[in-house]
Amino acid sequence: MNLRRRWLWALACLGWVSTTRVAAQHVPERELLQPYVGTARIQRDRVKLELPRLADNGFTVPLKVSVSSTARSSLAVRRLLLLSNRNPRPLIAAFEFDETAPPPVISTRVRLGGSQTVWALAEMSDGSWWMDTADVEVTESACLDQT
Amino acid sequence: MNLTTSSSRSVGSLSRRQFVVSSALASGGLALGFHFPAAAQANELSTLGGSEINAWVIVRPDDSCVIRVARAEMGQGTHTGLAQLVAEELECDWAKVSLQTFTPGQNLARKRVWRNMSTGGSRGIRESHEYVRQGGAAARMLLLQAAAAQWNVPASELKVDKGIVTHPASGQSTRYGLLAQAASRLPAPDPKSITLKHPRDWKLVGKSPRRLDTAAKVNGTLKYGIDTVLPGMQYATIKACPVFGGKLVSFDAAAIAKRRGIKAVLRVDDDAVAVVADSYWRAKSAIELLPITWDYGANAQVSSASIAERLREGLTSPDNVFADVDVGNVTQAIQGAAKTVEAVYGTPFVAHACMEPMNCTARVTAERAEVWVPSQNAEASLAALAAVTGLPLEKCEAYNPPLGGGFGRRGGTQDYVRQAALIAKQLPGTPIKLIWSREEDMTHDFYRPIGQARLQAGLNSQGELIGLHLRVSGQSINAHLTPHNIVNGKDRRQLQGYWKEPGESQLGYTVPHLRVEYAMRNTHVPVGPWRGVNTNQNAIYLECFMDEVARAAGQDPLAFRRGLMTQHPKHLAVLDAVADKAGWNKPLPAGMFRGIAQFMGYGSYTAAVAEVSMQGNDIKVHRLVLATNCGHAVNPVQIACQIEGSVAYGMDSLQSESSLKDGRIVERNFDTYPIARLYQLPKIESVIAPTYDFWGGVGEPTICVVAPAILNAIAAARGGKPVRMLPLKNEGLRLV
Repeated sequence: MNLRRRWLWALACLGWVSTTRVAAQHVPERELLQPYVGTARIQRDRVKLELPRLADNGFTVPLKVSVSSTARSSLAVRRLLLLSNRNPRPLIAAFEFDETAPPPVISTRVRLGGSQTVWALAEMSDGSWWMDTADVEVTESACLDQT
Repeated sequence: MNLTTSSSRSVGSLSRRQFVVSSALASGGLALGFHFPAAAQANELSTLGGSEINAWVIVRPDDSCVIRVARAEMGQGTHTGLAQLVAEELECDWAKVSLQTFTPGQNLARKRVWRNMSTGGSRGIRESHEYVRQGGAAARMLLLQAAAAQWNVPASELKVDKGIVTHPASGQSTRYGLLAQAASRLPAPDPKSITLKHPRDWKLVGKSPRRLDTAAKVNGTLKYGIDTVLPGMQYATIKACPVFGGKLVSFDAAAIAKRRGIKAVLRVDDDAVAVVADSYWRAKSAIELLPITWDYGANAQVSSASIAERLREGLTSPDNVFADVDVGNVTQAIQGAAKTVEAVYGTPFVAHACMEPMNCTARVTAERAEVWVPSQNAEASLAALAAVTGLPLEKCEAYNPPLGGGFGRRGGTQDYVRQAALIAKQLPGTPIKLIWSREEDMTHDFYRPIGQARLQAGLNSQGELIGLHLRVSGQSINAHLTPHNIVNGKDRRQLQGYWKEPGESQLGYTVPHLRVEYAMRNTHVPVGPWRGVNTNQNAIYLECFMDEVARAAGQDPLAFRRGLMTQHPKHLAVLDAVADKAGWNKPLPAGMFRGIAQFMGYGSYTAAVAEVSMQGNDIKVHRLVLATNCGHAVNPVQIACQIEGSVAYGMDSLQSESSLKDGRIVERNFDTYPIARLYQLPKIESVIAPTYDFWGGVGEPTICVVAPAILNAIAAARGGKPVRMLPLKNEGLRLV
């Protein structure tokens, strides 16, 4: 899947950054994004996030994210963040790129703590933010009570 | 007669089941039936010759209504209950209602309009009652709107009953069948404009119309997963490493290759081997003779004794323990008590023992993958299929026939779906029906977790319970299946029924000094939800101990409990209801003894009284009275059926265990794993005591009071000597 394009120039992958938040239940978008994006306006379209609509468990869910740039644009991707609104640690992964890197395409597997929305946020070299979201239904274990 | 079955499953010679069907057809029609989606290539759902009013309702020209239901049916009656909720708001004629099920692919294609398809956690009705009723109400509004437009009158002036729409002012009248087409073209009403009926106005909900699937079960037309037949289908059976966590090293396929009908011998994952043949029996006979080398791994030394030792350590160890409830100072209270009581209880691993063994039929090509699988969660089956084949969800489909028993086994994990897909993937285009042998089913279950509990109580000089210290040491389901539900290392799910907060699974007693702890002690044995889940063990620990404490206090077990329950009126009301029905205060004939228990789980309150007699070591359970408050009682007869079924399942768990030797399960079939037999079952009476102010579960909650009520009656029969380590055979006892 897009192997040719996966020549990532990712300089650092800061996965599993710990925060104090634990077992968040569907954190609202504003509260989730604010620590990373501040008050910046976030636009859609440039980022494409792909996750299966259903996953039978949340252990290793395939995720693909890409950021497109137009021919006119000389903007590069500076940072790419993956955020979860239900995982105990909302920041799934952070990627940082050299500004000479081509638009990134990332395929990976992520661990998801239940049905939720995942955000992919890209910061461009001009400081603008772009995002996409995907809803995932992590199917429930039988007889799960309301713990 | 409106029974339709999947076109893809009609291949093959006349089976016994089909013969029964033909006979039934000859002897007359049925008004109600099931509609299974044909194994359609597209994700289009048939409208069965009618007009789709909305996602939930199809109305045909003859006024018959087809109601779509999302949840898996495994005998618990959820299909009928859900249809009643839709029909209540739809105001159709129940005698003309039938069901249509659909696939997870169809649900996905319509943006999950029917939402959750899974059955588990007794959630079928309590989680979806609101949106299914809204679906029915929206359909009614559209049908009335169509009539209003036709007569040019306001819809608010119309009346409807059993699908007959009237306009009293003008005397005009029509019926749903005539309005359906026009209604199906109208836009959906604004959700805010939908008002649901007040429960006091219900006409169908709260009554017990006959089930919509009984006829098909009785006349043999109902197709279970194991009945699946596809053209060119081959049969597979499987053996996984007998020691959990062990690996498959090698097998000698040549040794069985020349046997009749053998098609393939295949590695499945890294821990199993499958034989594919032209019949199940040939596959099964061959796999028994297949030389297999296993790497048993590090767990080959584990035994029931070594696990018990580990759990005992957890009863007193300070390591890996958390307190979910800690009120007052329990240590001080018990130390200073006038009288103390202490006990250690133990419950074993138990298997689900579904009547229909695990099975899944799969057909995989490079472009498309399909499974026919009895699953409690068809969406999970679909997701597992997509994960195994690497195909996108849109190119996969899971067909979900009714289940021959689920009990949690067919929902928590998709192991058999995965295996079937892995086998079928190696034989592209050939449909493969994987059937587990009973031995495989019994030795590769996801067992009810093993546990022990240490309970200490302190009584004051008036015989009042002032301190209770309860610690459960045992295996965690969440650690094995859903680790994200363990928050900060605290697995509250293992303390189900002891929680402080109301609503789901609350402890029904108030004790001034109370500490409830869980020490997670995991083993290599896979564990999972087993109908009622942790309420089963937890009710045995606490409710049997309560009888011990009452005895020490010199009090009647009912009176002693009542004294602790004044702040839990709903728990108390159900306990009183069962005591009243059982005649607790009336004397019993000589040789008969009573036991009582109460507990809460899955949002419902339950209690039971058992009457037993004992001759030597033989125990006869004569009568069980059970009460439940599930809030709203949608179909009382079905609730009573669930209660009766839970008695059988509760009695299984008194006499059976899955024990370990050399890292593997010892009990491989029903000769060593007894389940409740008909002759053992008592007279069962149920009391449904709904308070109509919440929605509780029904399928699971009453199981957990069955065992402790019987155990307390046995203790009474033994002069106060409790049974603390299950199963009963540990005490030399048996049910007769």
